[in-house]
Amino acid sequence: MTSLFLDIVTTAAILYVVATGLLIVFGVLKIINFAHGSFLTIGGYAALVVTQLGLSPWAGPPLALLAGFVLGAVVEMLIVRPLYNRPLDAILATWGLSIVVVQLITIGFGRGTNFVVSPVKGAVVVLGTEYSLYRLLMIVVALVLGGVLVTIMQGTRLGLVARAVIMNEALAQSLGINSARVRFITFSIGSGLAALAGALITPLLSVDPLMGVPWLLNAFMLVLVSGTSLLSLLLACVVLGGAQVVVSTYGNPVFGALTIVVLAAILLRIRPAGFARV
Amino acid sequence: MSEHPFAAGIPAATRLPSERWRIERGIFAVLSVLTLAVVAAGPLVLDTYSVSVLIRSFLYGVIAVTVDILWGYTGILSFGQSVFFGIGAYALGLASTHLDFTSPIALGAFVAGPVVAAAAALLVAWLGFGPRVSPLYISVITLVQAVIFVQLIYTGGDYTGSSSGLSGFDTFDVGMESWFRIAGAGLVIITALAWVFMRSDVGRLLIAIRENEQRCSYCGIGTARVKTLLLVSSAIVTAFAGFAYAAFNDVVAPDLGNFQFGTELLIWVALGGRGTLIGPVIAAVLIDFVSAYLSGSLPFVWQLFIGLLFIVVIVLMPQGLGPALTNGMLRRRAKAVMVAPRLTLLPDPVVGDAARGPVIEITDLSKRYGSLTVLTGVTFGASPGELVSLVGPNGAGKTTLIRCISDGLERTSGTVKIGGKSIGRMSPEGCVRLGLGRKFQAPNVFDALSVADSLRIARAQQEPLSAWRSSDEVRLPAAAMRVVVATGLDQQLGTTVRHLSHGSKQALELAMVLAMEPRVLLLDEPTAGLTKAERAAIGAILVDLVRDHGLCILLIEHDLDFVRDISSRIIVLHQGGIVIDGNVTEVTTSELVRSIYSGEPGAVTP
Amino acid sequence: MTVAAMEIDGLTAGYGEAMVLRDLSLHVGTGEVLAVLGKNGMGKSTLLRTVMGLLPTRRGCIRLLGEDVTGRPPYVHAARAVSYSPQERAIFQDLTVEENLRLGIARGERFLPAFERVGVLFPFLGMRRRQRAGTLSGGEQKMLIMARALMARPQLMLIDEITEGLQPSVVLRLAEILRAQNRREGSAILLIEQNVRFALSLANRYAVLTRGEIAAAGDASAPNVEAKIASMMTV
Repeated sequence: MTSLFLDIVTTAAILYVVATGLLIVFGVLKIINFAHGSFLTIGGYAALVVTQLGLSPWAGPPLALLAGFVLGAVVEMLIVRPLYNRPLDAILATWGLSIVVVQLITIGFGRGTNFVVSPVKGAVVVLGTEYSLYRLLMIVVALVLGGVLVTIMQGTRLGLVARAVIMNEALAQSLGINSARVRFITFSIGSGLAALAGALITPLLSVDPLMGVPWLLNAFMLVLVSGTSLLSLLLACVVLGGAQVVVSTYGNPVFGALTIVVLAAILLRIRPAGFARV
Repeated sequence: MSEHPFAAGIPAATRLPSERWRIERGIFAVLSVLTLAVVAAGPLVLDTYSVSVLIRSFLYGVIAVTVDILWGYTGILSFGQSVFFGIGAYALGLASTHLDFTSPIALGAFVAGPVVAAAAALLVAWLGFGPRVSPLYISVITLVQAVIFVQLIYTGGDYTGSSSGLSGFDTFDVGMESWFRIAGAGLVIITALAWVFMRSDVGRLLIAIRENEQRCSYCGIGTARVKTLLLVSSAIVTAFAGFAYAAFNDVVAPDLGNFQFGTELLIWVALGGRGTLIGPVIAAVLIDFVSAYLSGSLPFVWQLFIGLLFIVVIVLMPQGLGPALTNGMLRRRAKAVMVAPRLTLLPDPVVGDAARGPVIEITDLSKRYGSLTVLTGVTFGASPGELVSLVGPNGAGKTTLIRCISDGLERTSGTVKIGGKSIGRMSPEGCVRLGLGRKFQAPNVFDALSVADSLRIARAQQEPLSAWRSSDEVRLPAAAMRVVVATGLDQQLGTTVRHLSHGSKQALELAMVLAMEPRVLLLDEPTAGLTKAERAAIGAILVDLVRDHGLCILLIEHDLDFVRDISSRIIVLHQGGIVIDGNVTEVTTSELVRSIYSGEPGAVTP
Repeated sequence: MTVAAMEIDGLTAGYGEAMVLRDLSLHVGTGEVLAVLGKNGMGKSTLLRTVMGLLPTRRGCIRLLGEDVTGRPPYVHAARAVSYSPQERAIFQDLTVEENLRLGIARGERFLPAFERVGVLFPFLGMRRRQRAGTLSGGEQKMLIMARALMARPQLMLIDEITEGLQPSVVLRLAEILRAQNRREGSAILLIEQNVRFALSLANRYAVLTRGEIAAAGDASAPNVEAKIASMMTV
């Protein structure tokens, strides 16, 4: 029972870390970045490079964050900005980017699966059960990340400005806010977060060029269900992630992989606002 | 050439649709026969590998046609068209692997695949095309559908072959060359049929749905039903293609129905040219064929190239490579001859129950958003022959009232009866069928269609659209005809609506609404953005419509001079309720109304 | 020759293809109050939105505080010490009173001094700092809009129907505050209004807008002005 509880909490934490970048991009830019999965993959490969170069595994996440941020900035300028008025086309173009990234990675690293050295190994005894230390660490990461983002959003000028743009871009502009710059920064940060998430999850799974797709689909559904609130996202991760764990453990792991996606689709149909304003 | 304030100096249309069809039919038939001949000769000229690749490419071309019709023409972005292909393929694969491959079994699989695909499409349509569902949702559902398909195959374990798929099952004893001819001919035929379909009146309707689904609903068309029918038909056709693929290839795998293949189809359609049919077919066949050859030597570079090309096309040339390349050639042609049907005047209907009591009755209507009350206790009626103007300061609730009258789901409480029948919770198309016509404030028309096509669609309720012909005639009732002639639109039947002036678009929308022969006409600020001359023209038309055609008009306006000149009755709304309801003299001399309009705070509220 | 606070020359603008404003020319001198009056739907809000850059300009030119801002995005205008108080969707409902006010300060300015200055004019704001702006009453929201507009000591204020739905006492208070802002700080004001009396009590000049064109204009202190304008406004 404890093990199930910990599975649920750690899965929710991992989903939260993965989906946050997609959420802030959706909130500010009002588009779904279908390249999110490939930024995740880039982050994973950044961690791989760190392993292959023999550097400390702790260097992986920061390197990934930086790589994602820089690439995100380039993508925003070249691909996202021209498609400001065409949100469905933005989904398609970012998916095209995703294909490009996957192919580049495959050309560079090959198709095979690789493993990354985990910065933290082994298990600890928690509440009477032995549990993976790294997974438990992810809970801390999720809380810290969530805390940092909430602090930025609620406590800084940048966060206030971003929230203003999310709520009413025209009014924000009339008050002197350069919303184009806000979108640019948000997209870069969102991409950086995606890459960071990729570097963080690779010690748990493995690294291959297509690792991003299932995460993209899950994150996509979680974001649609959450609207624009970080808190709703957390709730969605706990509820839907928990459902996934339960189905995988007691039912069929293959169906488990479908749980989030199917439940979210049903929820959106019944209540298009999702978890927002629960 | 009329000197109307509306006409913009565009020459009259010259050719009827049937004349154009006669000319095109010849070219069309020749092209089809030539292509079929090429297909028949193909195996004699090409090597075996190419032949086997092309069979697959042709079948992919068939799916590309369905995706183009769904997305390019109708605006339904589906990531999961591949699923129906997979269903058709697995129907044969499963049947043949687990049962003896006899004729009845083969026939059973041939039928089962499309039936299951149709059922899946129905479910998706029910979820995605419901009222008030966001257009993004259908894309979400089709994506989910692809994921579910693959996972279901995986769950099947040995029964479905899981990730390795099924292979080596018995199949039809048909040689590769015959398969080539079957697949090629199938592609040509499907493309030809699709082409005819898109040229027909129903094809125009699909474009109208993409352009402005709301307007279609307000023409009384059940757009959800049309889209569902389209999705189900496309699923059936795609499933047949999948069946053929399994029959020829003798291997089926989950990738046939996955999300990646679904998006590849979208990429081919986007590159070839959305809404051109030929473009997507060529792109699908070409790219798949070339990929097969390059997959040995440079697989990833080719995919990389396609991905980059896709991004470039979406960002810079959204109409697709096909149109971008051919536009250069076409521009050299002389100005295209316009095609448009004839306008025919319908005989006046037998005047039965004219002026027999109110045609619209609103009782105690209110609208609340949570704790905010926008309308309260609104009660009034109007009869044929009345021109009632609804006026009031900003925020009085005028547009909200119109919305509550035309959409059964909008109001919070109260009843609305049109022609004696309550609208209940009916959608806009239901209200329109009861006799309501609504003209929006900003011109709410179909930018990509011609004037004649727009009028034809407005008549769709009364005169069903053909799925294979483009009719030669548009029959309009007297009221609509009058607007069309008075504003010069009869000289611009072939013009694309996008190129009309603002005033002409307003006139067109009015004509479309009148073409539906409504009993009650709701007009939301018909003079917005019009010049003085255009305003006078519209005013005269409205007065005539009420006087000569027994129409009942409800008009929202801000231009109070306009209102004073043409109304028989004025209702003043203020802060969500009716303040006064009387004739022009009563209202213009009312102290109450004057105080409301001078903006004095604390004016008496109802 | 001082630079005018706002100059519009031959402005033609509207929505899509519908031109609401036709060849309009208007100016607001430094430290001047211009009242633009007119019935609903005559183009007053469209005028302000176009001046602010929220709507594209088809023809003509807009100069704010001497600089040509035609076609530039709205945040450029705000940077020119121009405050804009729209008629609809003018506050962030889900942000607190304080956060709404913070968005009003100019770049580089400090929040507290400005907040104290404005708090003197609108004392209730101090008590409601942490309250969500959407929970304020209609009148309080209007005052919040005005407070925010004053935070940055604007040289030009564009105000769209601020008195709509307000009690007479509040309207009087607003008039006092705006008069003070204009006299003491020298802010120019372009006031869009339907409340003729309020507008004339503040304005130096007036203009009546009918169907996107100026139907009448003149000195606000001329005799019988109010009656003349009122007759143009009603049914």
